Amino acid sequence: MTETPRTDSLLGLAERIVSLGKECGADEVEATVSDGREFSVDVRQGQIENLVEAGSRFLSFRVIKDQKTAHATSSDLQDETVQRLIRNAVIRAALGSRDECAGLPLISSDKVDIPSLRLFDPEVPKLEAAPKIRLALETERIALEDKRITNSHGASFITNEVTTVLAGSNGFLGSYDQTFCSLSVGLQAGETDDRVEDYWVSVDRFFKNLEPPETVAKKAVERTVRQLHPRKIRTQTVPVIFEPGMTDWLVGFLFACVSAVAVYQKTTFLAGRLGERIGNENITIMDDGLMPGRLGSRPFDSEGVPCGKTTVFEQGVLRRYLCNTYAGRKLKLATTGNSDGTGIGPNNFYLLPGNASPQEIIASTERGLVLTRTIGHGLNPVTGDISRGAFGLWVEGGEIAYPVSEVTIAGNLEQILNQVEMVGNDLDFRSPVCGPTIKIGALTVAGE
Amino acid sequence: MIAFEDHFQMTDTMRKKVLELALSRGGDFAEIYAEYRVYSFINMEEDILKETAESISLGLGVRVILGEKTGYGYTNDLSFDSIGKAALTAASIADSKKMASLPAFQRTLLSEDRYPLTQPAHQASLQEKIELVRRAYLSCQMSDPKIKKVKVLFQDHVQYISVVNSEGWAAEDARPQVKLVCTAVAEKGRRKEFGFSGGGGRVGLEYFGQALSPERIGREAAEEALQLLEAIQAPAGEMPVVLAPGHAGVLVHEAVGHLLEADFNRKKTSIFWDKLGKQVGSPLLTIYDDPTRPSFRGSYNIDDEGTPPSKTLLIDRGVVHSFLQDRLSARLMGRPLTGHARRQDYTCIPIPRMSNTYVDKGQDDPEDILRSVAKGIYAEKFEGGQVEDSGKFTFSISAGYLIEEGRLTAPIKQATLVGTNIDILQKIERVGSDLSFGLQTGTCGKEGQEVPVTDGCPTIKISRMTVGGQS
Repeated sequence: MTETPRTDSLLGLAERIVSLGKECGADEVEATVSDGREFSVDVRQGQIENLVEAGSRFLSFRVIKDQKTAHATSSDLQDETVQRLIRNAVIRAALGSRDECAGLPLISSDKVDIPSLRLFDPEVPKLEAAPKIRLALETERIALEDKRITNSHGASFITNEVTTVLAGSNGFLGSYDQTFCSLSVGLQAGETDDRVEDYWVSVDRFFKNLEPPETVAKKAVERTVRQLHPRKIRTQTVPVIFEPGMTDWLVGFLFACVSAVAVYQKTTFLAGRLGERIGNENITIMDDGLMPGRLGSRPFDSEGVPCGKTTVFEQGVLRRYLCNTYAGRKLKLATTGNSDGTGIGPNNFYLLPGNASPQEIIASTERGLVLTRTIGHGLNPVTGDISRGAFGLWVEGGEIAYPVSEVTIAGNLEQILNQVEMVGNDLDFRSPVCGPTIKIGALTVAGE
Repeated sequence: MIAFEDHFQMTDTMRKKVLELALSRGGDFAEIYAEYRVYSFINMEEDILKETAESISLGLGVRVILGEKTGYGYTNDLSFDSIGKAALTAASIADSKKMASLPAFQRTLLSEDRYPLTQPAHQASLQEKIELVRRAYLSCQMSDPKIKKVKVLFQDHVQYISVVNSEGWAAEDARPQVKLVCTAVAEKGRRKEFGFSGGGGRVGLEYFGQALSPERIGREAAEEALQLLEAIQAPAGEMPVVLAPGHAGVLVHEAVGHLLEADFNRKKTSIFWDKLGKQVGSPLLTIYDDPTRPSFRGSYNIDDEGTPPSKTLLIDRGVVHSFLQDRLSARLMGRPLTGHARRQDYTCIPIPRMSNTYVDKGQDDPEDILRSVAKGIYAEKFEGGQVEDSGKFTFSISAGYLIEEGRLTAPIKQATLVGTNIDILQKIERVGSDLSFGLQTGTCGKEGQEVPVTDGCPTIKISRMTVGGQS
């Protein structure tokens, strides 16, 4: 914890909300205050398009009286507003229903060593605007050097610094600082009525770990031009290879299905199935909030519960739902340190990598589809059904043959998890919810 | 009409000072957007009132434009010092010494109020709102023993915005917004399905006594879940698709509306950029975006740049007629303002957005349209969709029916429609006379900004479309 004057005033405000809440008659109070600074620049065709810079503060709290809960949030931090919100919340709580699971967690004696998590890069606040703008311009310039690229959605460089403090009437008091930065570019290739588009983004907590403009530009170009002149295919059931970005959304959907809120609400097909085999032996999934430098790491969750490492699936067997205190009490399980605002969020939630390289996975496939992008909604956690618009690369004889568009993929998450034939070695934690390349034995790809 | 409340207390002299700071490095245009919003929220599930919340969003953003560049700074600390800092941040995109002279502010008088209501939700007691929630909840729960889980959410907010700019324009709006939604889970054996319904708009609580009762919202959510329990998988492949009136407007929103937003056309990333005045679709197709429809969720008295909006003809009998404009694009493209600049909140730069988008009614009898299909699908309810600038889009059907020999037969569930917009627009074969609008609950996302919208359409037949189900 960096004891800056800024952090001190945030801690002071959070503690004040807790004591005011108690004075107004609440049994329990928990307050979070955050202070964020953002910088973002979008450039397009060699010029600045948008430049945004701002600092803002935000508070949120809950009060519990007679096991009845009321919440409030505000970006107006004036004392008069804060006092009114607290009074209103205590009055509102009285109108609620008694809920025996409501309440703050018991304070834990475990303490996470915050500096060892490497959440904050001291270089980020020191970066001047000019070099950040130059990085975005440079990335787009390199991408546009490729003559196959016909238009640009622009390049962006973004930094965020956030201080989060949390105080509870259970005695919890903590704070941590985080930084994020990202460099991205979006491109189009092809002529007006036959265009394709894609982008690449590099995200990291540490400025020095960002991919350089050359790499970001090259990946965006490659991802865009490989889709040029797509073909339609006929409707068929074939092996489908998910690129890591695609595994990310599949794993994200699985996260929604193991969230204990969905479980007690019975809005997930995994409700009541703890200990059952859901996927095959290739499916081992962890949630880990303590991985140094990773995007989803944090010392404690939004209730002040220390984050840890949870095995969610072990070789296909569902071992654990991810809980906050409330949903945990509903299911008679301990919290896993996944509280996020009023719901449940992932820490670093990832599918364990295997041994195969992405090239080996493609080479193993006689005929099939490499899924490169999906668009649309079409995920139903109640049933596990999936149906989405898809883009990909057709595989013929173990090699990429041609791009494919205007297809949809459809299946069921449980069936998919049972058909994961190969798992790649290319897990890179580019997103807090992630996985490597995987190969699914058979999925319906609808085309002509 | 809701009276405007000023939570900023900035005098014209202060506003002028801020705009002068914003233009101190030679920008073409500067603007102050001040916003105060109070939300309330009620959640009922597991037969209890689980949670209530109150939220306040207060802040102010300063924007400077120079040529095609935009600078933006915002703050929720209302000291003059912080506001001045935001203005200087916005100014940093400019780099000349040129000083603009500011005209006196002209207050815009609103000609019409699009929020005709009698019982503003933000002034109603929490008990009244809780009662609406309970009524929807019980109606859903009692509809059938197979309904195993009900969740009802009520949300309302009032948003006060004021905009002043360096051209001397000053405008204010006080916008209400109400939403009551119900989700149901029905179970039969091991099978479980979701149902959803809801309503609201820029209305007061009188809406739930007149336009749509909480009981109906609850019942409709239950009915959708029960229908899906009996649903089969949609077939996969290319086939005729009939869009049901109302909800299917989301197809138009996704496949056409987004690509007619001016920013994508100014940047030539939309496939429509060179098609103004050109025939792109069936002559049966006419599309409007209309922010002036009274009480609609997507409506407003002024847009988020202070411009009074107008009903905008987008596609006229298959011909691209105009784009949805904000100030920046309108100026750079030399086109008139349409009043479609919107922003999620004070932290965001305004961009061209849709409001209430719909296909105008046609001539055909909806029954005749169905009778013309030997085998296809009837797309009734949608979860949403997505489009790329290249015109490729997808949207997800959550409920519908098979069409066999001109009649609706088995209910179907979860399927995805994909296509390329111009291709689909040309394949519109029939347009019904039965225009209606979807639920007043929708939200549209663009560049990370969410704004309330509605969509509408009559019954429409598309001759062939790729449907993704499980074969």
